[in-house]
Amino acid sequence: MRAVPEWLADDRGTAALGAMLSPTSSHSLEALAAESRAMTLRRFGRTMTLYAPLYLSNYCSSGCAYCGFASDRKTPRHRLEADEIRRELAAMKKLGISDILLLTGERTAAADFDYLQRGVAIAAEEMQRVSVEAFPMSVSEYKALADCGCTGITIYQETYNQERYEALHRWGPKKDFIDRLETPARALDGGIKTVGLGVLLGLSDPVEDALNLYRHVRHLGRTWWRAGMSVSFPRMRPQTGGYEPTFPVDNQLLARFIVAFRIALPDTELVLSTRESATFRDGMAGLGITRMSVESKTTVGGYSENKEGDECEEKERGQFEISDDRTTKEFCAALRRQNIEPIFKNWEPAYNGPSGTINPERKAKADTLPNKS
Amino acid sequence: MDVLQLGSYTFSSRLILGTGKFSNSKVMLDAVRASGAQLVTVALRRFNREQLEDDLFGPLSAMEGITLMPNTSGASTAAEAVRAAHIARELSGSPFIKVEIHPNPQHLMPDPIETYEASRILAKEGFLVMPYIAADPVLAKRLEEVGCVSVMPLGSAIGSGQGLATSEMLSIIIRESGIPVIVDAGLRSPSEAAHAMEMGCEAVLVNSAIAVAGDPQEMAEAFAEAVAAGRKAFRAGLMQKSGSAVATSPLTSFLGTL
Repeated sequence: MRAVPEWLADDRGTAALGAMLSPTSSHSLEALAAESRAMTLRRFGRTMTLYAPLYLSNYCSSGCAYCGFASDRKTPRHRLEADEIRRELAAMKKLGISDILLLTGERTAAADFDYLQRGVAIAAEEMQRVSVEAFPMSVSEYKALADCGCTGITIYQETYNQERYEALHRWGPKKDFIDRLETPARALDGGIKTVGLGVLLGLSDPVEDALNLYRHVRHLGRTWWRAGMSVSFPRMRPQTGGYEPTFPVDNQLLARFIVAFRIALPDTELVLSTRESATFRDGMAGLGITRMSVESKTTVGGYSENKEGDECEEKERGQFEISDDRTTKEFCAALRRQNIEPIFKNWEPAYNGPSGTINPERKAKADTLPNKS
Repeated sequence: MDVLQLGSYTFSSRLILGTGKFSNSKVMLDAVRASGAQLVTVALRRFNREQLEDDLFGPLSAMEGITLMPNTSGASTAAEAVRAAHIARELSGSPFIKVEIHPNPQHLMPDPIETYEASRILAKEGFLVMPYIAADPVLAKRLEEVGCVSVMPLGSAIGSGQGLATSEMLSIIIRESGIPVIVDAGLRSPSEAAHAMEMGCEAVLVNSAIAVAGDPQEMAEAFAEAVAAGRKAFRAGLMQKSGSAVATSPLTSFLGTL
């Protein structure tokens, strides 16, 4: 058994953050929000960068107790083939999306590294910025992914409490706590430019998790000083498996976490997904959050099937329930009403290292994935 | 006529505007107009040919009397910046390029080594290169030697509003430079812009201070007036600050007895 890394005991900066995070903190939420708002405005301006998730596959080999895609869930499984991915990308581009996050479950034979890599290559042909939230990989796999146009990866630790982690991840490759902890570092070693970290709020003591998340961000920032970093605040919502969060985080506490992270990490991108309600997202837009997903579908093939008006016989469930189901147009209008400009394109493939050039190998890779039809 | 000379281009306005961080492009365009700026910078990553509503380049290029200076913000190496400069020139037709290379996307401090390398290559290729740098007097001279048309040292960190925190280094850069010195980043108030101009900066670049002001248009005008006043003061020659005046010269009075 490998040892827990030393940085998890690094206390630099944690006292100040801890003082802000505690639900019984002497810092008033209103005062923290005012400071967070001012810092966000100075550093990021009146803007919000938008992205959307694209679920490539819902095959999964792990048994995460809280997830709608866990391998014991009786949900229909499939993966998108080349023509289907292109159809989804076209539907997303119609919404204005140019920054996407490709998702799969944990590594399976049906959706393995090779499949993911081809998916990235196809997406990089259409989108300005492609990130991946899939499964832990090796340094050489991350390098191959970066060469295909992948700019960032998202890998949540879910919880930094090893005991809780091992209890919740019942089987499969995700059970390895330390391996998951070391994954962002491997991605950066492989040439991935940005990593997205987070804990799934509700699984374990939220304050303890938040402090360890902060330690992780600071450790990566000190060691891989070129790394772009973002922190997300996913919160448990009702799941297919009926998992009820053991440590529920209410709106007040979630807001407190977000503004405290902004103050503790003034330059870090903070992300809030459509798991949260329209009211909560609109409220947090000016208060620390700088990146949001929009019009998300958490089912495989969710973007183009609605357009065609398909009536699925068997209702497929997404990975999690969407709470903010506004269209891109409605969401952007709400941002603009608050004097915040939605930004769809905030990247240029020219900045993707060596893969930013015309890349015949990527083209070849993209062409190897078969079509459905 | 007192003009800002950059390569073969001349500008009567000495206020350069950044175009990010605004709440929408109309507010941004109004601020540009109100500022009287003739040179504005826009990030290549904010060029969006596929969705015009999201595009900053189109509306700016349609404005009369404006010269666009694309910037490479987002690049983390010289190779990426050079590639971005080529794309930007292709799309915008502008000979200017603001070289911005910040490998750490958190604090956005410019990388001196990559910036030097990219500037050297791009100046050789005929670009009018304006590098964003830390306030480093030696780097400023090295960039002048490779043919940059100006240097753009930071007053303080981007978006920090800390003003001219680097003023000691800036005054050395200004004193030694043979090309225009333009303070870029960190200014919060028009008085700081005026101060930079009084010190002998040839121009200032402002973005956040205008974009996130309560009334960006009004703030743009205020900066324009401050820059003009500061320039005028510099040309008029500021009076010396008073030292501790002494009636006699005890240290050198012996010279009179010789």
